[in-house]
Amino acid sequence: MNKLLLAALVSGAMAVPAFAADYTIMAPAAPGGGWDQTARSIQEALTAEGISGNVQVTNVPGAGGTIGLAQFATQDSGNANALIVGGYVMVGAILTNASPVTLDNITPIARLIGESDVIVVPANSELQSMDDLVAKLKADPGSVSWAGGSAGGVDHIIAGLVAKAVGVDPTQVNYIAYSGGGEALAAVLGGQVTVGISGYGEFESQIAAGELRALAMSGENEMDGIPTLSETGVDVTVENWRMIAAAPDITDEQKAAITADIKKMAESATWKSILETKGWVDMYLDGDAFDTQLDADIASTTTVLKDIGLVQ
Amino acid sequence: MDTFGLLAAGFAAALQWQNLIYAFIGVTLGTAVGVLPGIGPALTVALLLPVTYRLDPAGSLIMFAGIYYGGMYGGSTTSILLNTPGESASIVTALEGNKMARKGRGGPALATAAIGSFVAGLIATLAMAFVAPWLVRIAISFGPADYFALMVLAFVTVSAAFGDSALRGVTALFIGLGLGVIGIDLQTGQARLAFGIPDLLDGIEVTTLAVALFAIGETLVVAAARGSLDDEVVAVKGSVWMTLEDWKRSWPAWLRGTLIGFPIGAMPAGGAEIGTFFSYAAERRLTKHPEEFGNGAIEGVAGPEAANNASAAGTLMPLLTLGLPTTATAAIMLAGFQQFGLQPGPLLFTNNAPLVWALIASLLVANFMLLVLNLPLIGLWVRLLTVPKPWLYAGILLFATLGTLGANGAMSGNLFGIRFSFELMMLLGFGILGFVLRRFGYPIAPVVIGLILGPLSEQQLRRALAISQGDPLVLIQSPLAISLYVIAAAAVLIPLWFRLRGKGEVFSQLAADED
Amino acid sequence: MTTGSNPQRRPDGAAFVIALILAGIAVVIFWQTSIMRLPVHQARVGPQVFPYAIAAGLLLLAIGTAVSAWRGSFPARPPENYGPALWIVGGLLGQILLVSSLGFSLASGVLVACTARAFGKGPMWFTFLCGAVFAFIVWFIFARGLQLSLPAGPLERLIP
Repeated sequence: MNKLLLAALVSGAMAVPAFAADYTIMAPAAPGGGWDQTARSIQEALTAEGISGNVQVTNVPGAGGTIGLAQFATQDSGNANALIVGGYVMVGAILTNASPVTLDNITPIARLIGESDVIVVPANSELQSMDDLVAKLKADPGSVSWAGGSAGGVDHIIAGLVAKAVGVDPTQVNYIAYSGGGEALAAVLGGQVTVGISGYGEFESQIAAGELRALAMSGENEMDGIPTLSETGVDVTVENWRMIAAAPDITDEQKAAITADIKKMAESATWKSILETKGWVDMYLDGDAFDTQLDADIASTTTVLKDIGLVQ
Repeated sequence: MDTFGLLAAGFAAALQWQNLIYAFIGVTLGTAVGVLPGIGPALTVALLLPVTYRLDPAGSLIMFAGIYYGGMYGGSTTSILLNTPGESASIVTALEGNKMARKGRGGPALATAAIGSFVAGLIATLAMAFVAPWLVRIAISFGPADYFALMVLAFVTVSAAFGDSALRGVTALFIGLGLGVIGIDLQTGQARLAFGIPDLLDGIEVTTLAVALFAIGETLVVAAARGSLDDEVVAVKGSVWMTLEDWKRSWPAWLRGTLIGFPIGAMPAGGAEIGTFFSYAAERRLTKHPEEFGNGAIEGVAGPEAANNASAAGTLMPLLTLGLPTTATAAIMLAGFQQFGLQPGPLLFTNNAPLVWALIASLLVANFMLLVLNLPLIGLWVRLLTVPKPWLYAGILLFATLGTLGANGAMSGNLFGIRFSFELMMLLGFGILGFVLRRFGYPIAPVVIGLILGPLSEQQLRRALAISQGDPLVLIQSPLAISLYVIAAAAVLIPLWFRLRGKGEVFSQLAADED
Repeated sequence: MTTGSNPQRRPDGAAFVIALILAGIAVVIFWQTSIMRLPVHQARVGPQVFPYAIAAGLLLLAIGTAVSAWRGSFPARPPENYGPALWIVGGLLGQILLVSSLGFSLASGVLVACTARAFGKGPMWFTFLCGAVFAFIVWFIFARGLQLSLPAGPLERLIP
């Protein structure tokens, strides 16, 4: 029996092609969370497409991903088989938590998926459009209560950017933090707050059912007939994206090999069908274009967090 | 089709023989993982969810329902038998349940938990099918001020878990409140009491604290008492089945627990554990056997277990009708539903009617399957207590550390160059705290309750004041809040009034009887 | 406020220590909260209100505990037998410090051996072996079967 098992194991090991890298993907979040789902989807696509023979996912949750990031940067340095999932949330968390390890300490590979935030009001709200909201905000910033995720997160950053773009002091934004978009949704539906701001996925079904009225999307493209912020005259564009990065101190050849694997994965049928079922938007971007985009995001986030008063 | 027709169609799908087998496998797996000490329902569901992906939608849905109920139920088994709850919602079950188990009444305690869970699951799932949209409307109208009033009421009822000394009970509660302050403040994004340690920024995990205080603390207490106490646990004394008396005392508690747990589970910021606190407090106030409370009163198991399961079904209402996950388990289930092609939200019942009703039927079938599986197993579970102590407690510690490592495997601590898990170190630290507290006669449950209620009440109060731009009158403007404050006042004043009228013997006798 | 069962009613030294610790925690909360950085926009009930209230409460409870200790009204404690408890604490510490290098199975073997020793079961090489084998099976089920991320060591890496 044991021999049989051993034989099976050995033949299993031999069946894996020699060139396929065995990746370990760190999800800097608890099992079940957004980054965890992303990591496990990448795992599924990489193995199903035969790009990698064996992919393991590890979870290191905490402090907006910065705990996982710190562990990854120190322990996996130079390891070409180690990958980490991250995203825009991490950019803000690094700043607000004054994390000693930043995205400069790892090797970003590619942006994979993204989600736009949406600004909504209850169906019976007096605010009909983004113009109404801007007018109310200018008249009395405190009278507009914004429900969204935790302070300093993407939702808060966008609210601050909107205020700043229309000439209102961002520190006057009356932002009410809820733990997660779900609780914020309940607060908007119950008419407890003036507007809600969260990922489109959180509000999508309520908008479709007519319970909520969407005023604007934060991203680059309009969706389901909802205008973007810039189309409504508010010059703000923010996408809540997720990316994959590699360890620090890898060689250029290793980086190129990983990028090739990820690109192959992102173009595969398996990945497309995962995006379909999860409702994720493909925002693949790699190389210099991604690095430029990342730097721009970090710069604008640093400014707005200082403006809101969360970072000194 | 009307509701009954849809439900019948759902049952037709759920009752196919291969689906029944899936339900059975789901319940078995859920119970098997859920029963391990230190592994709560959220982790159980997260771990087992991928197992269901390989089946067709109807099959995976029903297996998933089985895992969910199995995981919920499995958690209470170890709470009762070993005093090691794997999550906050079964802490209250441990209070009376473990006392019963120590007296050889583990069988009836497990039976009342199983049947209570079944009754509550049955009523709550049916209620969900028929009143969901209506009840969710009410639940949503709860504003921050109303939630704050609800928290005040919860604080008032916590005293039921205080044991024999108000001083030590309040101290335990304040230790929990103090722990609750640690971490990033949600409203301002600023760190409080984190001492520059990144691992503390997210606050203290309720599961880690509960598992440490109960499982690790309990192990230390038992070890330190070895040979010096005649605290031998009796595995079985009398029948493992419930007596007629047990039935008589259990059924009203099941119904009350269901009534309390279901609406609280339906609230967007309710949480399953709060329903169990209320249910325990209610049973303690209403019982005809107050002298048994703290020494193993069966109502104290029946009520909270029913409340726990009813609120688990209640949680599904905002989840299905609004796409609003209100607990960690629900958040993982949401991911699962999306995998099955269900898009939770207001249009779910119109767009996905067959699948939703198949889910509801699956839940009912799984609920029934759970009872069928677990009632005969009670005799076997009780045998857990006869496992020799060295192996039993080694196993408890092994699974407690596994659950903690599995939920948070960060090796972020560093001691002389050795990397270690900060979360495990906290588990050990709180375990020692639990040992010290017990030794000096402090109750344990209020510490966990403080950690849960403290941040909830603070956030709701500050939200209410921020929305009103600082006007404190907002706290007493809604009729809901006012009624909750009236109930809270009554809960304090009525016992006082009885005491003044010379009926206080019950209370002092109660205090004297406790350890 | 308390119902005591200590017949001698003598001042209780250990309970005084508890009072001191409670007061110490209150002081730390006061101090940490007072040096915390505040947001520019001040709310009526800011992030400092709850910590201050809790610290004040703890201070009052410390006084109450001291009075209770003076009156000796803490319940009698069973005779102290810290040896076994120390074995368990040692076992947990061992597992915590070894798990990242030795992996889950071997580190848990140490935990099991120490726990068994605390309950008077030996010899330790035998309980260690049993613990490590059992932990390895558990590791295999959870880490490989259910994809839970648990630390792997030399033993776990034997399985491809």
